[in-house]
Amino acid sequence: MAELSAAPNVREQLTAIARVRWQLFVNSLRTLRGRLELVSHVFITLGFAMGGIGGVVVSGGGAWYVISHGKAEWLAAILWPILLFWQLFPVVATAFTENFDTSNLLRFPISYSSFVLIRIAYGSLEPATMLGSLWLLGVAAGIGIASPHLFFWSALVLLLFAVMNILLARMIFSWVERWLAQRRIREILGVLFLLFIISFQLIGPLMSRYGNREHPQILQLAQWILPLQRFLPPGSAASSIAGAAGADFTVAAEGFGILSAYCLAIFWLLNMRMRAQFRGENLSEAPAPAELSGERGTTRVGWSLPGVSGSVAAIFEKEIHYLSRSGPMLFTLIMPLFMLFIFRLTPSTSATGSGSLLGRSSDMAFPMGAAYALLILTNLVYNNFGAEGAGVQLYFTAPVPIRSVMLAKNLAHSSILALEMIFVWIGASLMYGPPALATTVATAAGILFALPVNLIVGNLLSISSPKKIDFGTFGRQRASNTTVFASFGVQIVVVGLAAITLITARSFGRIWLATIAFLVLATVAWVVYLVVLNGIAQIAFDHREEMIAELTRAS
Amino acid sequence: MDMPAIATEGLTRRFGALTAVDEMNLRVAPGQFFGFLGPNGAGKSTTIKMLTGLLAPTAGRIEVLGLDLAVNAIDVKRQIGVVPEGMALFGRLTGAEYLNFVGRMYGLDRETAAKRAAELLGFMQLADQPKKLVTDYSHGMQKKLALAAAVIHGPKILFLDEPFEGVDAIASGTLKAMLQSMISRGATIFLTSHVLEIVERLCSHLAIIHRGRLVAQGSLEELRAGVEAQAAGALPNGEGHTAVVATPGKKLTLEQIFLRIVGGARPADQELSWLS
Repeated sequence: MAELSAAPNVREQLTAIARVRWQLFVNSLRTLRGRLELVSHVFITLGFAMGGIGGVVVSGGGAWYVISHGKAEWLAAILWPILLFWQLFPVVATAFTENFDTSNLLRFPISYSSFVLIRIAYGSLEPATMLGSLWLLGVAAGIGIASPHLFFWSALVLLLFAVMNILLARMIFSWVERWLAQRRIREILGVLFLLFIISFQLIGPLMSRYGNREHPQILQLAQWILPLQRFLPPGSAASSIAGAAGADFTVAAEGFGILSAYCLAIFWLLNMRMRAQFRGENLSEAPAPAELSGERGTTRVGWSLPGVSGSVAAIFEKEIHYLSRSGPMLFTLIMPLFMLFIFRLTPSTSATGSGSLLGRSSDMAFPMGAAYALLILTNLVYNNFGAEGAGVQLYFTAPVPIRSVMLAKNLAHSSILALEMIFVWIGASLMYGPPALATTVATAAGILFALPVNLIVGNLLSISSPKKIDFGTFGRQRASNTTVFASFGVQIVVVGLAAITLITARSFGRIWLATIAFLVLATVAWVVYLVVLNGIAQIAFDHREEMIAELTRAS
Repeated sequence: MDMPAIATEGLTRRFGALTAVDEMNLRVAPGQFFGFLGPNGAGKSTTIKMLTGLLAPTAGRIEVLGLDLAVNAIDVKRQIGVVPEGMALFGRLTGAEYLNFVGRMYGLDRETAAKRAAELLGFMQLADQPKKLVTDYSHGMQKKLALAAAVIHGPKILFLDEPFEGVDAIASGTLKAMLQSMISRGATIFLTSHVLEIVERLCSHLAIIHRGRLVAQGSLEELRAGVEAQAAGALPNGEGHTAVVATPGKKLTLEQIFLRIVGGARPADQELSWLS
């Protein structure tokens, strides 16, 4: 027998992984798509860098202010937003988050401690960790400038706070991924998650509605809750620094101790997941229990749509089935109505004399809801082969022109938008009163313009920059950076143009002018749409190899 | 001579400097169960992708049922069924919905598609769990569903890329029964597989591709005769390679023929320096 190699060196293993990641990145630049991704990535990174620098200034300035004014316990007000951003951003903005699958590492002779280190180190290479760490550096600098003798203790506490955040983010990810392994739970959690996210949007309107009035019960509740937050991570970190600032070392040690306890508890929970992963846990879709049914031997007849071929109707039906089985995606469709509801909660006038746009201009409710519906639709339109995965090959082996495939998908997405527009109109009517006929017509005309523009760009990006949507994983991006970047650009141009047109026409009291402008733009857009649709087969033909390779690749 | 079901002329595919398929001239007669073999990376999947329209050839011509694929792609696709690499399934449909969908993509009317989908699910023993999504199917069930989808429109030619990969004996039996049934009805089957025992049992004719070039083509007997003739002529056996010869009185197996043709037999004295 050959001699076994020496015990693996952790540093060399980490270096090897870093090298392989670098090689993967370099290899990705061989294709045009990869180079476009890099360009998009550079722009996105620049955006994050600006956010990072702005955050450093704000958090540093805030820390300097509270320390200078002897209110160190108010540092919690700075640390809470940092914690919330750190934990929520990776979940909300999955397009900017890269969580590489470490399960492949298990076949190597990696010790458990190396596995943990790799999971934590490489799982933390994301904007939230970078920005959160940068902002904490800003806080430390602000404290150091305001009170130099406090710097070292603050830096230590903030370092522990950063470690706690890194561990917490990893812990949340690993547990959520565990729960999302089953499709049903995934969909339920997806809906719960969206409810959680949109509940944040209620804070603003509720604050403006109730914030300026006296509510003794709320004050009592706040007085009861505020001392408790001292025992939560941001509060305990702030309390520890405040203790050191006031030379009360018992309080400083107590805060530090609580924060350390959080780190240990979170690490224990993370450790449970990582142990299971290290033992080779398989989180693939578990087979559902057998559902014996009396329907055996028969299958339901497919849909028929007037005026279109059977294949177009079949793709339309398939799109609707897919949408109906994606709980979170379906749920996002009620978001426009929810947004109108949020604006409805905001009082039209407040003590400061300001008020919500819709409070002052309720006839804008329908246009705003419609614009929001269009924005939501981009989730479907800009990566319209993403959910198909390997199934995309069928479109190239079946005797159906790709033009028909695209047409069917566009038809399905347009129908969803039309249906949603009706719901938005009803919702706006109930919440703000029926929109004026002129506004309704102008909005419909505006959508008639915006829809084909989005379909054109969406169709092209779906072919040139597809991204497989993996329903079985969490936090892996669902659209390519190029797509995200391009869709931002399109929305800024289209929604901006529509809004300017509508507001200008409204300010002249002649909404019909906007209708005419939109109809002219819509005519041009639909002509371009048809030209692009007619050429889409050739474009798809030219890109089919990359499309198939991208959509069939293992996650 | 009958018009071939599949014919290629100078079929070539290059990926940059690499020539994956090189000047291939292939002929498959109608009604043949045709096995397309080759070592890993020889160009099998690239060939089948070109034959089914998933990949554009760099050069050469493909005729399927007498139609030029480049000119009559839609007409060709209407008459063929494909189980590509990765199976082309739609995970978030049920088996019945998927078959219905595929049937209609191939031009069947709604009623016919539904009727055939039900029959196929029954034949493939997939009818027990009608509400189960394809993503929840086991690998073997997915293979059976992929084959069912490939035959729902009654194709004249069936292209199968590794249909038996990762399939257990029970599912494999169902797949073989379906394929035999297709052959008995006059269909042509073009199959790639690494499971040579299955190919030997099913296929009447074979082609072997090696490094992008077609190195052998014919019936199993013709290939065997060719290899035996070479062996009788005292060709490469004595060059330090592991001998690939039949036991006296026994015919060469397909595996032996294959190894002989592609020269994949390992030199007898080759060892790894650190593995002793």
